[in-house]
Amino acid sequence: MSDTIQELTEEQKLKKKIDFKIITFSLGGKEYAIDIMKIKEILKESKFTMVPNTAPFVRGVHNLRGEIIPIIDLRKMFHVPIMDPNKREEDVLILKLEDITLGVIVDQIDRVVGIAKEEIKPPHPLFSDINVKYISGVVESDSKLYIILDVDRIFGKEEVLASTYDREERIEYKAPEKEIKVKTDEEDIEFKFVAETLVTFKSFYVTDLNYEWTKRRFEEWKNLRTSAGEKVQLENASDAENFLRPFYSPYTGMLWGNDYKENLQKILPERYQGIINVWNLGCGKGYESYSIAAILRDRYKNNMIKVWANDKDLLNISTAPNLVVSKDQIPSFMLDNGFVEEVDSGRYRFKREIKDLITFEYHDVLNRNDYPKQDIIVARDILSFQKPDKQEWLIDQFKTMLNEGGIVILGLNETLPAKEWYKLQEGNVIAYKVEKY
Amino acid sequence: MKTKTDFPSINEREPDGIKEDGTPYRVLIVDDSMFVKKQITQILNSEGFEIADTASDGEEGVEKYKELYPNIDLVTMDITMPKMDGITALEKILEFDKNAKVIMISALGKQDLVKKALLLGAKNYIVKPLDRKKVLERVLMVLKK
Amino acid sequence: MRVEYINPFVEAAFNILKEVLGTELTRGELYLKSSSQPVLGVTAIIGLTGDVEGRVLFDMTEETALAIASAMNGEQMTKLDDLTKATITELANMITAQAVTKLSELGFKFDITPPAIFTGKKMEVSDVSVEALIVPIEMPLGKLEINVAVREKN
Repeated sequence: MSDTIQELTEEQKLKKKIDFKIITFSLGGKEYAIDIMKIKEILKESKFTMVPNTAPFVRGVHNLRGEIIPIIDLRKMFHVPIMDPNKREEDVLILKLEDITLGVIVDQIDRVVGIAKEEIKPPHPLFSDINVKYISGVVESDSKLYIILDVDRIFGKEEVLASTYDREERIEYKAPEKEIKVKTDEEDIEFKFVAETLVTFKSFYVTDLNYEWTKRRFEEWKNLRTSAGEKVQLENASDAENFLRPFYSPYTGMLWGNDYKENLQKILPERYQGIINVWNLGCGKGYESYSIAAILRDRYKNNMIKVWANDKDLLNISTAPNLVVSKDQIPSFMLDNGFVEEVDSGRYRFKREIKDLITFEYHDVLNRNDYPKQDIIVARDILSFQKPDKQEWLIDQFKTMLNEGGIVILGLNETLPAKEWYKLQEGNVIAYKVEKY
Repeated sequence: MKTKTDFPSINEREPDGIKEDGTPYRVLIVDDSMFVKKQITQILNSEGFEIADTASDGEEGVEKYKELYPNIDLVTMDITMPKMDGITALEKILEFDKNAKVIMISALGKQDLVKKALLLGAKNYIVKPLDRKKVLERVLMVLKK
Repeated sequence: MRVEYINPFVEAAFNILKEVLGTELTRGELYLKSSSQPVLGVTAIIGLTGDVEGRVLFDMTEETALAIASAMNGEQMTKLDDLTKATITELANMITAQAVTKLSELGFKFDITPPAIFTGKKMEVSDVSVEALIVPIEMPLGKLEINVAVREKN
């Protein structure tokens, strides 16, 4: 160990039962520590060999007496600010884990601290900027609080080095929560609580996307409940369901009707060049996918149409390729076009010419999406049930995945920011185009 | 009254792998799997067949066939192998010896592959997993024709 | 993963394992996994080509691999030697091939590559940007995880 590390003197050791030693260091202004048994040595190093095509937190590699080891910048990995970016020599801890040796750059290595294992407390999210799952515990020593990192967890299961993908998909750090916009008075605290229970019972997240609707609904709900002498707060799943009932888009869970088709077709362009690509997120049993395919085929007789329909509910989507509906559930335009055929009395399925336009995939859209550029994205009432950071991520994905002039169809009560998106509306159909100015 | 001589004795049954002249049929096994080679060897050996040689890919299979010829009665050929697949090897062996007796043994039971192999000249096609009875039946069918 | 591709793999796994091992099997719940996946100890890989690109992984602990190989060879296998490995890859080959056969009956043209096998703890098969379907299978001999990642060639 270098001479900048101080150890406890013999007499200090005697004062408490030391059975665990940690090396402490600072990172983004906070104090962290790692079990000394995981640490092979310490370096002060200024040069690392850059390696192309690696994640942003991989600084490069270093030749450690013949062994080439990767060097990770922990500050970049955990998205904490670098305290001294102009530092000439970096403080590096060389970690020797079960099957990997690597170096991590920290702000400042401090000292070896001896503690009693029993003093280590479980982690609390408030203590750190990084995700709780990477922390093995916290401990206090000499009136300093150290956050002990679980390096086996951080560098073990998820092989940081072989990957080249975005940090967003790899390290779940605590992104700043999209704040639920409330003023600080009583009514808005009530609203905030309702919003929180919507998360608990229905995984419905109130953000800019649906704030307007939710706030309006809350006012309405409050009036309803107080005049009926009932509690405003949502006490159970059934309350939450009732609250959300008016949220859902027209024709949820069924084929889109003639009126919806008329309105949508008014929004669609005169013609498309070549293949019309459609991405349908959260298609469930397939009603939306068949509807959009039928509407497009009805309008564009000669274009190739490709609908990529996803859902992560296997039970629902596995029935989609064979969807059967009763005649009274079929809008006349589908019947008139001959898009459906009878299977047995009163029950119909879609003909090959429509079925073949759709590829149903068991897929989680929060994983990497590998699709060609899209002309139409159908994501009705899906975004609102994603966590705020995922909502943002998906909306960004939409931007990059849309063709010139492409549109996104969200839920009736979901909105995209006016600065970035241009809104098109025709009756009960709302779509958004990327705003170029 | 029935006497002992009226009932054929099991012990007197000739093993299937022995020809009429008393010599064993000689077989070339072409498969990249050590396990499959072992399986087929065990099945055939138990009935007196002789495993003349084995090969681990199509290319080696064709070479060995040419070396063993004309002292080779049957080839078992896997389809999915590195370097040269079984269908290509089948073609090459038949080019060399149009009377070669080749049985395809594969885990792929695709109709088009089966048809293709038989059209090209394979005498039979067995889909894995292998069971002893099926293998012996088909092998004998091909050899006795 | 395309919905129609799922059942063929699940059925093939069941059919082959039942026929070849003769044991009771139960299937755990299917789920999706993204990013690279650590390995239990023994992994057989079969590539998928044709109208699609991808691969199937068969993942198990060394113990389970030995138990399966022992059952398939009719003798006690105690080491991960060439024969044991060849036995496991043949199992992987049969399951994948039967799935591909079923898929071809449904109109999907897949082909398979010769298998490869990797052993060694904590080694990773790193597929960037591939989402995989996991089919967990439980048998008295141990647990087997089938990991399928396949996508249409654009």
